Parts: sequence; structure tokens; C-alpha cells
Amino acid sequence: MKANIFLYLMLSVSAYGQTIISGKITDRKGESIPGVNITILDSYDGTSSDMNGLFSFSTSEQGGRTVLATFVGYIGQQVAVTLNGNPVKLVIELREEIHQLEAVTISAGSFTAGDEKRRTILKAIDIATTAGATADIAGALNTLPGTTKVGESGRLFVRGGDGNETRTFIDGMVVLDAYGPAAPNTPSRGRFLPFMFKGTSFSTGGYSAEYGQALSSALVLNSKDKAEFNQTDIGILSVGADVVHTQVWDRASASGKVQYTNLTPYFNLVDQRVDWHTPPNSIESSGAYRQQTGRDGLLKFFGNYNHSNLATYRHDIAQPELNLLTDLDNTYGYGNASYQQSLSDTWSVRGGVSYNYNGNKVKVGAVPFDEKENGTHAKVVFENSLSDRIEWRVGAESIVRDYTASTMVTNFQEPLSLNFREAIGASFLEGEWYTSKHFVSKVGARAEHNSLNSQASIDPRISLAYKPGKCGQYSFAYGIFRQSAKNELLRLNTSLGPERAEHFILNYQVVTGNQTFRVETYYKRYMDLVKYSNGNPAQSNNNGHGFAKGVELFWRDNRTVRNVDYWVSYSFLETERDYLNFPGAAVPAFASAHNFSFVYKHFITPIKSQLGLTYSFTSGRPYTNPNGTEFNLDRTPTYQDLSANISYLPRNWLIIHFSCTNLLGRDNIFGYSYAATPGADGIYASQPIRQPANRFVFLAVFITISKNKSVNQLPNL
Amino acid sequence: MKTVILIAAMIFSVNLAMADDSKYLETMMKNIDRIYQAKTLGEAQQAANAFDRIANAEKTKWEPFYYASFGYIIMATMEQDVAKKDALLDQAKVFVDKAATLKANDSEIGTLEGFISTMRVSVDPATRGQQYGGLAMHAFGKALAVNPDNPRALALMAQMQFGTARFFNSSTAEACATVSKSLEKYDLPKSADPLAPTWGKGMAQGLRKQCQ
Repeated sequence: MKANIFLYLMLSVSAYGQTIISGKITDRKGESIPGVNITILDSYDGTSSDMNGLFSFSTSEQGGRTVLATFVGYIGQQVAVTLNGNPVKLVIELREEIHQLEAVTISAGSFTAGDEKRRTILKAIDIATTAGATADIAGALNTLPGTTKVGESGRLFVRGGDGNETRTFIDGMVVLDAYGPAAPNTPSRGRFLPFMFKGTSFSTGGYSAEYGQALSSALVLNSKDKAEFNQTDIGILSVGADVVHTQVWDRASASGKVQYTNLTPYFNLVDQRVDWHTPPNSIESSGAYRQQTGRDGLLKFFGNYNHSNLATYRHDIAQPELNLLTDLDNTYGYGNASYQQSLSDTWSVRGGVSYNYNGNKVKVGAVPFDEKENGTHAKVVFENSLSDRIEWRVGAESIVRDYTASTMVTNFQEPLSLNFREAIGASFLEGEWYTSKHFVSKVGARAEHNSLNSQASIDPRISLAYKPGKCGQYSFAYGIFRQSAKNELLRLNTSLGPERAEHFILNYQVVTGNQTFRVETYYKRYMDLVKYSNGNPAQSNNNGHGFAKGVELFWRDNRTVRNVDYWVSYSFLETERDYLNFPGAAVPAFASAHNFSFVYKHFITPIKSQLGLTYSFTSGRPYTNPNGTEFNLDRTPTYQDLSANISYLPRNWLIIHFSCTNLLGRDNIFGYSYAATPGADGIYASQPIRQPANRFVFLAVFITISKNKSVNQLPNL
Repeated sequence: MKTVILIAAMIFSVNLAMADDSKYLETMMKNIDRIYQAKTLGEAQQAANAFDRIANAEKTKWEPFYYASFGYIIMATMEQDVAKKDALLDQAKVFVDKAATLKANDSEIGTLEGFISTMRVSVDPATRGQQYGGLAMHAFGKALAVNPDNPRALALMAQMQFGTARFFNSSTAEACATVSKSLEKYDLPKSADPLAPTWGKGMAQGLRKQCQ
């Protein structure tokens, strides 16, 4: 028994036996790291490293144990040790996490807005507060380099590309018609308002293999996650009204919106150059639902329905007293469900389905013309991180579109109908590899099969970025992109192949705290563009081609002057293409050589107001004068616009917003329309295509009702 | 003899268990004091590291996670570099989220969530004020719904109200009323729990000076 007690005492003494663990923590360059937490796993014992990265502590733990060293911004390191009373010496090297702020990022061709924690070029709120854009996403992005302002369209024209070469994606799902209807030669607005999105990524070329069916540009919008509190927002606008209500539950949120817009009262007050029969009016409703599932899953639903109508009298150019009533009735529906979930520590899955419906009923005089498009998109993507440096993803998607156009020909007895069904199956594979925090490469490929022409293709995409120092970085992107021909061409010849573009982009960017400088140059080759044979759209082929090249500059500064934030962008574009009815290579009518924008935002504290100014300049655009010499040889006068807005916040739940475009009242001319036949004097009569009115003035009052009085609609403006 | 050993072993293990719990309390109290006294980033880091270590061993207790999160918030108040500030707040969020899974619907944990949002605003008030300001006020409102006597939720709420009043050049009456209420609550009898949070009174007193 004595022996036993002795043994027992011995054991308990040895249980209290101390081992001293000491050592040093360094980074990979051997520099010491202070403040690192060193601990024995599952025990209290441990310490922090001192100013020289040194540490020492004693522990009563025994046997085989694990020492863990952790520090914010570094990858935790584990070391196995044996504790038996003999001092343990450790030298632990910690490796910096790569996804840190200073790490290189791929910037060629890409602008991101949102996620305030990253050094993005634009903040999400910038899109909403840019003067002249009247809270239209495309309007704000049109102040960035790479875009060409086409005042009568309102769409995004990127680097010598047509407006339909920019594709919009919401939560990764394709949007087939992202713009609302507009009368001829009046700008259309995007269907989706900026406040729905937490992040926007606008790519002017060289984008990821995940995105297809876009020749020039991808606009990737990420919708907001679950809302955090109940609120109701009411907007009283000079052109209508809207109300949004958001309801929040523990793991879900829902919001619904109804909006009515009618421009009749405004057009009665302000003279318009368009002879309106029915000014634009629309009713819109949208709803969103978010449900958190499991540990980190998120299911998102979004639906949008819009019905709008407008009608104008079109006057004959040669004989203005002759007019033709053109009535446009549009019904639009968009539904999108997306889901994301991590499968393990290294694998995650995301996917979704979207449905698009767009129906136009047009009447020109008495001739009806109906157009319908139904599209569904389904997609699934698996992502895997092999380490903090290597990530890869693989995905598959299917886009099916049904298109029908019908009209009544001759004495309105025989209907003429044109239709097609296109099914695109695609898959992509892409890997991103950080060799160090100075160098990253992203390599991918996208395979597509198109049912209309039974063509299969594989398009490579490559981006590289190198950041030699703290601030400046170089980036390069290359890729081949394809997109089906426009509906109005495809319906006449369903065997048309996709149009293709090849992008080469070189970018240099410096981002310091609150200043950004960026210069980018590119070359873009257009291939397989649709070309008419003998000027006949029904006999088209893919023999068209073209190019675009240019240099772009961007400077943003919100540091030099307090409360002032401004950016300047300049784009130089040289482009020609031989497509459609062009007699040879020529500059297309939407292209302009020089585009310049200056955007200024100033928060004036004493009057609690944010003031915004935007100046835009676009050099002359080509047009063909049938009385003159050659195709697209003439140039319009330059386009210039100075717009302003002011948001006044008298109370924290109330915003009064006023905006006005074209303060200087410049009569901008976008081109000329000519009579179809020459007059008696042998000259084709002409009419300039002008702004519907020199200025657009907008007034709105936004009221937010919530239990939480510090919330207002500023983020929505 | 076997019985004796068994009893001895039982007593010993009971002792050990008691020793463990008192060791937990003692270590916690020592480090709570350290974090309250921290004057430099390094001191705050050491205390936060200690809570991280305790949390590592005591995976079912919410307090170590709560104080580790608080430690990182304190570090964020001392850090000048905005990018690093955000990284520290990210870490604070990780810890407070863990605390919240261990103790759901807690007034003190909710207050800390709001504190993190308040700090996010301070990084870039112009672009973050609306989003994080709203989130912070919402968190304080929720914390007070659970425990209307939480002086810290009131003090931090008052701080946000001061900011708003100053911005709109409006009356600070509401903010001052909240501060007074907060100070009243600080004077209520202390909780019997030695690990219960007690911070924030100095901040409330500082705010009250602006009311006179």
C-alpha cells in the first residue's frame, strides 16, 4: 500500500512537471512577427510573441501535444511536440494569407463596384449618385473608360462593340433583355435598379470562362443577401411613385415593390421634340426572397414583372404633315432562383435557373408586328480550393431560347411568322493560381454547342497579373468570345453561326488609399460577323469582320480635397468593321474616337446635401449622307453634356433629390435621318436626330419608415 | 486498499475539476482586467490572444469568445491603418459569431455585434454610414429588447445618436437622454457573475460631458 501511495504521489508530481517551450516566430523572409498567439491545442497554456517575435512559456501538459501559432493575416501553423520536462525550442515560420489587401488582383478589362472592404474602383453607392445617370446602372458605367456614349440609345457600347454585345448577368444567371422599351431615338433605361445589388462587376473585355454569349462586355450584378430589418420605403417622383416593403424573419427576408411611372404630366409641362400620342407609362412589380439554409447556404429568389406602353407619331421627313402612329406595348417577366452552399471546407457549389419573357406588340399604322422571346437558363458550378493559392471551378449550363416574330402582310389576311429555337449547352473549366502575392494567373476554357448550326467550339481565356511593389500592378488578358447573331438576323437565317471576337488587353493600375490611376490598351479582332449578300438580310453569311483598338485612362481621387470625390476618364477608340450592309470596312455609326467624362461629387455638410456634377464629351459619330460621297464618311457635331444632381437630407428618414441633365442646354445631334427617296430637286431631305428635349428635370422625395430611425434611402439613390 | 485508492482518486479528480473551474475563472478575470487596462495594441493583442487560447480549451463557454471578440474591437480602435482595422474587425466578427452560437439571443453578445458595425462606420463614414449605421442601431435595439437594463447597448446607441444629431445639426436631446439612461443602468447593482461585462462607463461619461 505504501508503495502504491508513493507511486501515486510520484505520478501526481510528474503530472505537475513543467516543460518550457520557447522560440521565435518569423515570416518567410525571416522577419520577426510580434503578437502571434502560441498555444498548446486544447489547453490554456501559451503566450504571445514579443516585439522581437520571441516567446517562452511553461506548461504542465505531458506527452505528445500540438503547438499552434496563429496571427491575423497569416496561415496558422501547427507543430507536434513531445513534452517530458526537457525544454522545447521552436522556430515557426508563418506564411501570409494570399487573399490580403496588398495581393495582386486581375484588373485587365475589369471594374468592380461594391464590397467596401476591398479596394474597389467604384463603391456600390457611386452608381446611384452619379449625376446624369438618374440612378441607371448603364448611365453610371458610361462614365468609365472603355465605353462610348451613344446618347439616343442609353445602352452600354464597349470598345467598338454594339449595344447588344454587352450581356447582363444577375447572380450568375443570364438576362436576355436588360433594357426597358423606348421610342425610336430616345434612350432606354436598364430594367434593374442599382439599389438591388451589393456588387457590380463591369468587364470591358477578357472576362472569365464562366460568362458566354457576350462579344464585348459582361455586366455581372450580385444581388443583396438577406435583409436585416423591416422597413418601408416610399418614393414620390415627378414621373410616378413607388413603394417597397421589406419584412425580415430569423433566417429569411422578403421584399416587394410596386412602381407606377407615367411621363404624361411631365411632357405636358416640358415641350418634347417627339410627337407623343401616349407618353411612356408603365407598371412594375418585383419581389425578392432570401432564405438561409444549413450552416452557410443561401437561397435567393427574384422576380420582376413589367408592362409598359408608349405611342408616337412619326412624321415623314420630306412631307412632315404625313405621319404614322407607332404604338409599342411591352410585357416583360424575369424570374431567377439561385443557390449557394459549401459542401466541405474546400468544396462549394452554386447554381440557379432563370426565366426570361419579353413580348412586344408593335403597331405601325394599322400593321401589327408581334415579337416574343422565351428563354431559360440553368447553371451549376462547383468550386474547389486546393490551397489558399490554387482554386479551380468547373461548371455546366444550358440556355434555351424560343423566338417568334409575326406580322400581317398584304391586305392583312396572311400572317407571316418567323421563329427559331436555339439551345446552347456549355461547360467551362477555370483555375486561378497565386504563385506568390505578386503574381496570379487565371487560365480557363469554355466549350459550347449550339443547336441551330450544330457548331461546337472551345474558347480559351487567360489573365495574368503581376504586382512588383506595394501599389502598382500590370495585368494582361486574352480570350476568344462568341455570341449568337441578333434575333432580327437569326430569324431570317437560322443557320447563321455565332459572331466571334478575340481580345488582347494590357493594363497598368495603381491604387493607393483613396486614389486610383489606371491606363489600359487593347486590340480586339472581330470575326464571323453577319454580312448581307448583295445587301439582302435574308441572304446573310458569317463573312463579316472588323477590329477595334484603343487606349484608355482613368483617374480617381477622393483624398486631395475634403468631402470631394471625383473621377476623370478618357477613351480613344479606333475601329472599323465590314458587316451587314456595309460596302466595305467602315467606322460604324455608334463609334466615336474620343470619349471623356468628368464626375464630381461633393458632400456639403452645412447644407446637409450631396452635390454631383458630370461632364461628358463625345467626338463626332459617322453617318452617311445620301447626297454626299461615301458610306459613313460624314461626322456629326460633338456631343457634350453637363448634368447635376443634389440630394438634401433634412431628416435622417427623408431625402429630397433633384437632378437635371444638360444644364447648358446644348442641342446635341446624334445623326441624321434621310427621306427614302430624293425630292424633285434630286436631293434627299434630311432631319437631325436630336434629344427629345434639351434637358430632363427630375424631382423626388424618398421617405423611409422603420423602427430604426437611422435608416434612409441614401444607399438607393 | 483498492477502495482507498479509488476514494483518493475520486477526491483527487474532484479536486482537479474544481481546480479547473477556478483556474478558468481566475484566468478569465485576470485577462478581463488586462483587456480593460490595455493601453497599446500589443497589450490588447496579448489579452485577446489569451482569450483565444482559453476559448480553444473551453469550447462550450461563450465568455472567452465574447472577450476575444471584444479584444479585437479594442485593437481596431487603436489601429490607424483602415485596411488592418477591417481585418481586425473581421476577426472580432468570427469570435462574436461563435459566442452567439453558444448563447443565442444574448443582450451582451448582440451589443458587441453592434459595436463591430459602429467601428465599420468609423472606417469610412461617407460610404458605410447608411448600411452599418443601420445595422448597429438594429443590433442595439435588439439587445435592449432582450435586456432593457444593458448600459453598454445604451451607451453605444447614444454614441450613434450623437453622430446622427451632429450630422443633421439637430438637437442632441435624444442622445443625451439615452446617455443618462445608460449611466443610471451602470449604477444598478452589479451582476453576481464575476465574468459579466462591465466596460463602457467611461465612454458614457465622456458622452455626457457633451450634453452640458
